[in-house]
Amino acid sequence: MEDASAEEQQRLTDQQLKAAVHYTVGRLCKEVAADKEMQFSKQTVAAISEVTFRQCDNFAKDLELFARHAKRSTINTDDVKLLARRSSSLLKYITEKNEEIAQVNLEQKAKKKKKPERGNQESAELVAEAEAVECEG
Amino acid sequence: LSHYGKLFSFLAKMPLEKAALEMVEKCLDKYFRHLYNDLEVFAAHAGRKTVQLEDLELLMRRQGLVTEQVSLHVLVERYLPLEYRQLLIPCASSGNAVFPTQ
Repeated sequence: MEDASAEEQQRLTDQQLKAAVHYTVGRLCKEVAADKEMQFSKQTVAAISEVTFRQCDNFAKDLELFARHAKRSTINTDDVKLLARRSSSLLKYITEKNEEIAQVNLEQKAKKKKKPERGNQESAELVAEAEAVECEG
Repeated sequence: LSHYGKLFSFLAKMPLEKAALEMVEKCLDKYFRHLYNDLEVFAAHAGRKTVQLEDLELLMRRQGLVTEQVSLHVLVERYLPLEYRQLLIPCASSGNAVFPTQ
């Protein structure tokens, strides 16, 4: 009984997450469609969102491995950079973003003595607004 | 490099053409370059200048060779000859000495 309900709960959470990702992908696809003046079929959007979902799984596992390899239990920006080192352009982009975020954090720190969560913000940047959508839902 | 040719034809259970062997050599070249790059980055990530067994294990884990079900030791047992296995897998010998020491 316990297991069954837990499994059900897990499945529900999974579905909610997938829905959130799907919604975000849909919005991004709309933007691209407006930009490039081409249409996305519904199946394409669904396929992209499914790929994104599984990619997140891969990313999460890799980040965990990298953090553990450096004898940390907290994922930080170095791990994220390591994830993106396969393509130099992406690495450059991520590094720039990281610096931007660090700057913003420094300003925030100067304003009010609040501890920012850098790694969290970074990943939030990476997974676009999936989390934001999640929070809204 | 003919050694690799023999290995490949043994694994494929069929003889290899000359052209295929050349392709294999190219692929191996690329593969090893990739490998060294990765190992270097992983060692640097752990704050070391020396590549250690952990880095190799991480690499194989990312390649999907080492998983929860299949550990590195299992792979060593499966694919390497005895003298290498003795070097890699700690084993208690007489006098309560463990070689290699962890």
